[in-house]
Amino acid sequence: MSLDNIADTLSTTWLANELTDSTWLFGAVESIHVVALTLVFGSIALVDLRLLGLVDKHRDANVLIRRLLPLTWTGFVLAAITGTTLIFANPKGYFENFFFLGKLVVLALAGLNMLVFHFLVHRHVDTPGAIAPRVSGAISLVLWLTVVTFGRWIGFTI
Amino acid sequence: MSILHDFAVWLAHSPITAAVTARAWFVPEIQVVHIVAIAAVVISVTLINLRTFGLIDADEPQRAVVRRWLRVILVAVGVLAATGFLLIASEPGRALFRTVFWVKMGLIVLALTVTAAQGPTTPSFAARALAIVSLLLWVGVIFAGRWIAYAEGWPGAFS
Repeated sequence: MSLDNIADTLSTTWLANELTDSTWLFGAVESIHVVALTLVFGSIALVDLRLLGLVDKHRDANVLIRRLLPLTWTGFVLAAITGTTLIFANPKGYFENFFFLGKLVVLALAGLNMLVFHFLVHRHVDTPGAIAPRVSGAISLVLWLTVVTFGRWIGFTI
Repeated sequence: MSILHDFAVWLAHSPITAAVTARAWFVPEIQVVHIVAIAAVVISVTLINLRTFGLIDADEPQRAVVRRWLRVILVAVGVLAATGFLLIASEPGRALFRTVFWVKMGLIVLALTVTAAQGPTTPSFAARALAIVSLLLWVGVIFAGRWIAYAEGWPGAFS
């Protein structure tokens, strides 16, 4: 089954019809997507800036990470659900869009960076002068900024 | 209304509009900065409101939590005002002539007032009610912002 077939199948679903018929549904789902993605980006950026030593240096980074992680995941699940929903409005358009596909790739890279952080870098977070946490934070910030940028560009190119 | 019209006409012929429309990628990039600043507000408001319910940072006084994040919110709102102005300049006949834009401005004033009022409150029913109102108002701001793209303009308001 090719991507084209999948797009065709998606565009004939009940959800696709609802999204294209309604005058407000797409905008409402999009608005929730914005709330969700800003929660994801905001919570991640806060941890990244802390890892870079740019904010809250006196606060324990591990405490910050532990407290913010549930917010990040809540936002991410909500963003994933709303984002997947939005695809149904124009499946072929999204699957052929450079920025949409690029966004998925960069999201995967951001996930990979998170895994590397979790298994290899996290234990060095409190080591004074450790360089790995800073690199992790910088990579994360750049990747998530790219996710937001690509996401916004979809709207101009689809 | 006529002042608004005159302002939009002036803006449309100003170097600001010429500058932000000079390259096709300027507007999307300004929007990215706008979204990043929204993220700063959303995380700040979320942390304040969760603190009110004792769900996060319970080892810190509410007053300190509000003071810390209110500063972030104010800086972010400054960035939002600046980027928002540039986005208006990119299409002067658009946002200013849609009711939902002015609803958004009103909601921002209300939301900022409520958030600032959360600082002095002690744990109480009123504080928790304020936290819920704050959440609803800020989510309302985001919805109203997104709706500028979908709302109809006032008939014959700008040409």
